[in-house]
Amino acid sequence: MSAPNHRWLHTQLPEWEREGLITAENAVKLRQRHPHDDSGPGIAQVAMGVLGALLIGVGLIAIIGYNWDHFNRPVRLMFAFAPLLGAQAASWWALKQGDACARWIRETAAFFQAMAAGACIAIVSQIYNLGGDWPQFVLAWALLSLPLAWLMRSYGVVIFYLVCITVWSLRDDVRHPVWYESARAYPLLLLGLFPFWPGWKFDKPLSTTLRWAIALSASMGLAAAAYQMIEHPWSDFEAVVWLWSLTAAAMILLPISEAAIHAPTRSKPQVVLGFLYLLPLGVIGTSLSAGHETIEAISIAGKLSWTWVLIIVTGAFAVHAILRRRWAVLSVASLAVTPALALAAGENAPHVVPWLMLVHLSLIGLALIALEFLDRKGAPRLGAALLSVLIMARLFDSDLSLLLKGLAFILVGVAFLVFNIVLSRHHKKQKEKVS
Amino acid sequence: MKSLPLIIFAITALAQWAVPLSQIWTYEGVLTKGTLIRVKCAAPDPYDPLRGRYLAVRPEQTNVPLPEGMEAPEEQMGYVSLTTGADGLATLSSLSFTKPASGDYLHVRVHSSYDKQASIDWPFERYYLNEELAPEADEWFAENIRNTKGIIAEVKVLNGKAVLADLTLDGKPFREILKDRVK
Repeated sequence: MSAPNHRWLHTQLPEWEREGLITAENAVKLRQRHPHDDSGPGIAQVAMGVLGALLIGVGLIAIIGYNWDHFNRPVRLMFAFAPLLGAQAASWWALKQGDACARWIRETAAFFQAMAAGACIAIVSQIYNLGGDWPQFVLAWALLSLPLAWLMRSYGVVIFYLVCITVWSLRDDVRHPVWYESARAYPLLLLGLFPFWPGWKFDKPLSTTLRWAIALSASMGLAAAAYQMIEHPWSDFEAVVWLWSLTAAAMILLPISEAAIHAPTRSKPQVVLGFLYLLPLGVIGTSLSAGHETIEAISIAGKLSWTWVLIIVTGAFAVHAILRRRWAVLSVASLAVTPALALAAGENAPHVVPWLMLVHLSLIGLALIALEFLDRKGAPRLGAALLSVLIMARLFDSDLSLLLKGLAFILVGVAFLVFNIVLSRHHKKQKEKVS
Repeated sequence: MKSLPLIIFAITALAQWAVPLSQIWTYEGVLTKGTLIRVKCAAPDPYDPLRGRYLAVRPEQTNVPLPEGMEAPEEQMGYVSLTTGADGLATLSSLSFTKPASGDYLHVRVHSSYDKQASIDWPFERYYLNEELAPEADEWFAENIRNTKGIIAEVKVLNGKAVLADLTLDGKPFREILKDRVK
């Protein structure tokens, strides 16, 4: 249950007790089971603080933009350092207060300091008419702000850092010869946020917004890193796509705590994003013409050390997932390595790939349906949709006439509707049994 | 252990000062000790949302001859030597990937090479302006860019680094011309 649900439950419990729906003992148990800490500030208070700091920061930048021509250089440089000094003093005070300092003040001080540091560098580069190498500026700004995320536990600074490193990684499609000048440095930059990773033992669970921000940044930044790992990414784009698959698999399998495993899917964005990439790609992989490209991609990517890093990391995460019995995520993540199994077929590998992908995806679809009817947690509608998409994809690939394809589409549509009705009846019967 | 966060904070605060201070140190050195060179410019352009109004300063020469038998690798840093002609204007005379032992030179990014010429990025490209002078500057730049004498960028150069010090027309500083026009 998410924090808003806990809050809602705590507001309802007294009323339920009064109405006799639950006993006082049950209410205590529910409060213990779903604790809600309302001692901290509301999200609105924190957001207002960050917004205030942001506005001051933007204001500073606008003042810099005005360019005070009638002041000499030393005076203008003083304008650059004065806000930074003020912000640092505020953060120092907040840090010294420790837990006694309200969270919104900590957030505001940290975010304002991050803004002031950037404004200071900007005004200096303006005074000396320095060039517009903005990626370097963004990276320097992000790195100078990162320790504030650790020390002040500032969500605002974390999101700012994530935006900066993502924008820096995605800035262009030219492959840089020096690794630390390109998105290849992104994994290291992301490691900088280690204490904020999903699943990390934190005093409070990370908010869903922050999890999404981390997952979105990681998916884009790691995709850019994979692109930069290949020497000729445009001509060997299939290899880039395969590296993206391995990255998605690693993200899906990222070890998380037992509590996080049972949390709703929307609070595990790395799983949602990984599924959204791997399932459609898996369906494309069933195309008969995809085999040659896939095998070529694997042979190109296999020569890269980054590929092996991804395979080792994914393998280690997979072992953890097996121990935690995360079968659903394992079944989808393994789509990334299924094409590699075709290599065992030697020269016939390109012909085997589409069939392997078809069998794998069909098994996932069937398993998602079967689990529901075996009274386990399944996703029957998703399973049925996956099977339907597979059938349609195979039909598109076939040499059948338009008439036959049309009839087949209608049949699949009817079957899908019938399945939906059967499923609804099944759910109704189950509810009746429970009541 | 309680002092560890404060130590990390102090290091962070120092780093936040050190980055702009090191820039100031480097570029003040260039301005005070550097050699003044003059470069003829081409076309203008107007705005940086983060740092305000500026004129995009594009020196006319962007290609440098490659030494015989050399192929310039793309997106690498290199050194271009500067030679001042009889007209007092500086030109890029040669490219190397090792620091020249003598003379004035710039540390630049090499884009690409074609037909025994390498294309480079100059280490300066912007001249920041007061917001009130900016519209006048746009107009002035557009009027004078095709002037036969052209707009000249005055640049201080030291140890490969460059600071754009001023823009001039007929030897008159750009800001003075603008202030006269605004009057």
